[in-house]
Amino acid sequence: MDEIKVGVFLSDCGNQLSEILDFDALTNHVKNISSVVLVERNSEFWRGKGLRTILDAVKGGKINRVVVAESLPKLSEVNIVQAVEEIGLNPYLVEVIDLKDHCAWPHRDTPSEATEKAKAMLLAAIERAKLLEPIEKLEFPTLKSALVIGGGIAGMQTAVDLADLGFEVNLVEKAPFLGGLATRAGRFFPTDDCAICIQSPASDVKTITHTSRKCVYRSGLSQIPNLNILTNSKVVGVEGVPGNYKVTIEKKPRYVNELKCVACDLCTTVCPVEVPDKYNANLKTRKAIYMRVPNVHPPVYVIDESACNFHDCAKCVEICPTDAIELDQKSERVTLNVGSITVATGFQEFDSTVIKEYHYNDYPDVITNLEFARMIDGFGPTGGAIIRPSDRKPAKKIVMIQCVGSRDRRYNPYCSSICCMISLKHASLIKTAYPETDVTICYIDIRTTGREHEYYYERAREMGIKFVKGRPSEISRDPDTGRLIVDVEDELLKRFLELKADLVVLAPAMVPAEGTKELAEILGLELDEDGFFKEYNAKLRPTETKLRGIYLCGGATFPKDAPTTSLHAHSAALKAAKFLITGKIVKDQRTAVVNEEYCGDCEFCPVTCPYGAISLVSTTEDHFVARVSDLLCEGCGICVGTCPLNAIELRHSRPSQMLAQMKALMSVNGTSKPLVLTICCSECGHTAVDSSGMAMMQYPANVRVMKVPCTGILQVHQFLEAFKAGAQGVMVVGCKSDGCHYEAGSQKAEKKVELAKMLLKEYGIEPERLEMFSMIYIEGDKFAEAARTMTDRLKKLGQLQLMGGS
Amino acid sequence: MTSYALFLGCTIPARQPSYEASARRALTKLGIELVDLANMTCCAPPPVQSLDLETGLSIAAYNICLAEEADLNIVTLCTGCFESLAMANTMLKENEKLKARVNQILSSTGKEFKGSKEVKHYLQVLLNDVGPNRLKENVSKNLSSLKVASFSGCHLLRPSALLKFDDPEKPHIFDDLIETLGAKSIWYRHKLKCCGGLLRGYADDVALAIAREKIANTTKAGADCIVTLCPFCFLTLDLGQVLMKSTFHEEYNMPILHYSELLSLALGIDPEELALQFHKIKVYSVLNKIG
Amino acid sequence: MKQEKEETTTNLAFSDVITSRLGGETITLCYQCGTCASSCPVARITPRFNPREIIKLSLLGEKDEVLSGDAIWLCCSCYNCQERCPQKVEIADVIYALRNIAVKEGNIPNIYSEFADGLTNEGRIVPISKFLEKKRPDLGLPPLKPVGVDALRKILSVTKFDKIKQEKKEAP
Repeated sequence: MDEIKVGVFLSDCGNQLSEILDFDALTNHVKNISSVVLVERNSEFWRGKGLRTILDAVKGGKINRVVVAESLPKLSEVNIVQAVEEIGLNPYLVEVIDLKDHCAWPHRDTPSEATEKAKAMLLAAIERAKLLEPIEKLEFPTLKSALVIGGGIAGMQTAVDLADLGFEVNLVEKAPFLGGLATRAGRFFPTDDCAICIQSPASDVKTITHTSRKCVYRSGLSQIPNLNILTNSKVVGVEGVPGNYKVTIEKKPRYVNELKCVACDLCTTVCPVEVPDKYNANLKTRKAIYMRVPNVHPPVYVIDESACNFHDCAKCVEICPTDAIELDQKSERVTLNVGSITVATGFQEFDSTVIKEYHYNDYPDVITNLEFARMIDGFGPTGGAIIRPSDRKPAKKIVMIQCVGSRDRRYNPYCSSICCMISLKHASLIKTAYPETDVTICYIDIRTTGREHEYYYERAREMGIKFVKGRPSEISRDPDTGRLIVDVEDELLKRFLELKADLVVLAPAMVPAEGTKELAEILGLELDEDGFFKEYNAKLRPTETKLRGIYLCGGATFPKDAPTTSLHAHSAALKAAKFLITGKIVKDQRTAVVNEEYCGDCEFCPVTCPYGAISLVSTTEDHFVARVSDLLCEGCGICVGTCPLNAIELRHSRPSQMLAQMKALMSVNGTSKPLVLTICCSECGHTAVDSSGMAMMQYPANVRVMKVPCTGILQVHQFLEAFKAGAQGVMVVGCKSDGCHYEAGSQKAEKKVELAKMLLKEYGIEPERLEMFSMIYIEGDKFAEAARTMTDRLKKLGQLQLMGGS
Repeated sequence: MTSYALFLGCTIPARQPSYEASARRALTKLGIELVDLANMTCCAPPPVQSLDLETGLSIAAYNICLAEEADLNIVTLCTGCFESLAMANTMLKENEKLKARVNQILSSTGKEFKGSKEVKHYLQVLLNDVGPNRLKENVSKNLSSLKVASFSGCHLLRPSALLKFDDPEKPHIFDDLIETLGAKSIWYRHKLKCCGGLLRGYADDVALAIAREKIANTTKAGADCIVTLCPFCFLTLDLGQVLMKSTFHEEYNMPILHYSELLSLALGIDPEELALQFHKIKVYSVLNKIG
Repeated sequence: MKQEKEETTTNLAFSDVITSRLGGETITLCYQCGTCASSCPVARITPRFNPREIIKLSLLGEKDEVLSGDAIWLCCSCYNCQERCPQKVEIADVIYALRNIAVKEGNIPNIYSEFADGLTNEGRIVPISKFLEKKRPDLGLPPLKPVGVDALRKILSVTKFDKIKQEKKEAP
């Protein structure tokens, strides 16, 4: 084992820090610490001459551990570490601390106390550096292939993007045809043009122009050689790790050979079976063998196996001119090996049957927006005629009802965001085609927030569409005429209305697509409280999940309109591309490692790991140990905090390292105030300390800060150790409990603090000496306030007397 | 023999002996034993809850305690009593804090609410203890020509989360029990709408206007009679028609019957025993149709 | 900042008073959709009562108008509104809570005073006439069991119900 030689480099920031801190005293203090062989002082050390000083010391073999006191370590550290690595020292043997924002600036009113604190901070950094071990960088190969689940407009756009970038893409769609909701919707707002429009410049194999839009069937999507489209197919199993997923697809039989079918439609002319056409809102029937009109892809017929009589009939087989019909096709299982998975499963309309007072599914003349879209579509079951389903007579008076099951705490408390525009679109289309139709929209609020949406609303009003502010309480039916009556209070007129209607169009909530729960389980993804796939971070990472290599796009995370879906799809494609493009994942080994001798097979850590990085592996017949995947581990340490046997540790934040820091920080006081140990998480907690210093907020110098990856790493006995080390009080500062950057760490820390308080009480120590705070970067003032509060509290409590003295 | 503690409430013994008479006779005939417990009080319906809800719940709980002590479930005739007692029963069973508070109040009476018994409306007894088949077997009169406008009133069904009696938007239990007797339960506009009864005494004009709509709608639908469950509804619709005549000069002559009366008639009980003379709108037309 | 807070406190306090009252907890969820008003049999007959407006006025802090007005006494307790409210506001229970608060301040309509008297005197809100009680054997009805008036009075005393109606008597 090589002798440990620590070099300490102190930046005085152009002699600014030395106005406050006594650098001579610091240098002397540090010189005398064991294993310190070199102490240097300069204006800065993270670049230029200062950096060269460090590198020379390393190159010359003088030092093998580097401690730097530098400003803005979160920026400067990167430079130092990279440079050090280039000359051959393991970059994880470097420790950088901030004497400016963590010491000089927040304590500028008490410079001598600041200097004492700086001594303690330097000692802590040095003691930790002595215990640091080299950490390796690992490479995990990834396949340059992607899976996109869902062939709607979101999935198609992501798939085309990825294929254009050169990846092997598999697009899997559970319906027999691509297109998703767009094919039923017909037209999309705000442009009211074709819904099934998809941007695909590079993949247009026919022309070389920069045309911006092509309908899917002529977009060349199906001609892209590295885009493999599987329709009538569902994902039933996923195994493997990010970059190397093994996906099992179940391909349902189409009963028609894709290579032979010429889409001549002869089969439907002889098929004897007619079933209600659910796709067309049951406004017409279809045969057991069918194709969607208009179609996107593939241009191949399909047999509905629940309706077909198969060999008892086989009339279609006889008549097919190319022998394309194969009644004996079976389900197949297909295995795909992919590097990344993108979920684009979209959403569906809420089933309004439960809102019984609206009589959906009871009165045939009460329909939904999506069903109405089929009616007004020229290709639809009524050829664009607007009729009453009950008697097929023209509908002259139409009432639309918004927020059916949306903003409803009984069903879906959220606003589905697109229904106001959908209804306005339908109302506008009605008035354009049939201007004499009376259309009234009953609403709670009209939400037209998008770029052109308010103009759309204005045009709708100009067309003479009527608006009633009021949510209808009931739809009833006149027994003599069969006409519908909608009861509503017009709040603005303060009048009760009984609107007569031929047709009532409900705007139901948009809810997660069928199969969302099952798919989430297969992939290991979380759903949010409304049942949609949970975005990793709504603000910054809306197309990512907490699992590497798995992405989300489109309506699967929340209902959205077409423009937003496009943005989302391209974002997801970019994220997946970034993940796949290098062909490998590079990660350092700052991960957890299990001491298998100590592991008691209690199964706690696999359950608490937010990333599923821990699995149980059998070592003997009946004994299991936990084992950590370096690929999946994110280095938070929540497992460490959970293990009852101290059998698992984080390589770069070992309990021994933490204890050394605690003791060092408490070794020197130099103030008349009680020492407070503050343990901050490296995400929000430590940044709050940074910002309070950057803003020069003043708090007392008896407050000493150390950093851990996540407060979830902390164990109850560590709080007791802190008191033993000389702390009069302990502060834990973490992310807010609903915003922990490692999912659940700060919540776990809160529980441990509660437990620790109970223990302290048993030991005769006031539980108020230990406190947990949560704050974010911009709440630096909260940190300064907390530091002052704790100090005052401890002053009042007096000196801590530990049993047996310490 | 299934036994229940009969909860009569205030309005029925005070104003509608015919409801009580028909109910006792019909239920006894069907094998239900009705036990009269001492020391029961008013159930504390909405008028009392309006003054102080906590007091109302405590009074309701007190009455339930009497049944718990007698180890009997409660059956009510009046749907107002049903709502008051069932609501209190459920609320206290589901909310520990509320139960503790009410028991604190009840301690002055030496009683403690335990939540060990159920509160039922007699329709539930007919449905579950007697059963539609046995009910049908006991029907001896032909009601097939009778077109009934059923009106269960609000408090049999709502608040549905606490009463859990039937689907509040599409109830069917009451209509089914009418048709089990052989009569036809017809549709009429706003069947589930309140009769306005609880406004009597405070805003008689409003109450009357609301009741009038109901009478008009049932008449328009061609009903031979309205069958009610709540004594307040009965009063509003029966006595109400007398007031409609004097106020609006409209005469509807729509007989109002308690379901228990219809039940008794269907079971063949002599109309003489049912105290039908207390009805303001005479029910001869109904009696004639039944035969 | 502090001064602004004080000015608005008196208004805000009313909705706090309601939400801290049994039955009134959900009033602040209301987003004025009007389903309750449209479901209400009374609102359709008379403009004197509109549940949505009562809630709006209460949330705006118009304490006097709500508590001394006659609107809150016009609810017929049919619970249709509460069944259908998409925000699960317990509208009928909120109106009871408002009535309870009004009663505490001495605003009680006469008929309700009579109910309260009936309760304290006889344990029934609708007293039974001697005439009808005597007729019971003729109608084949068993004699009425005694009413638990003593127990009832104890309850009313603990909840200070009997005090409430006394305030009314003192008011002009």
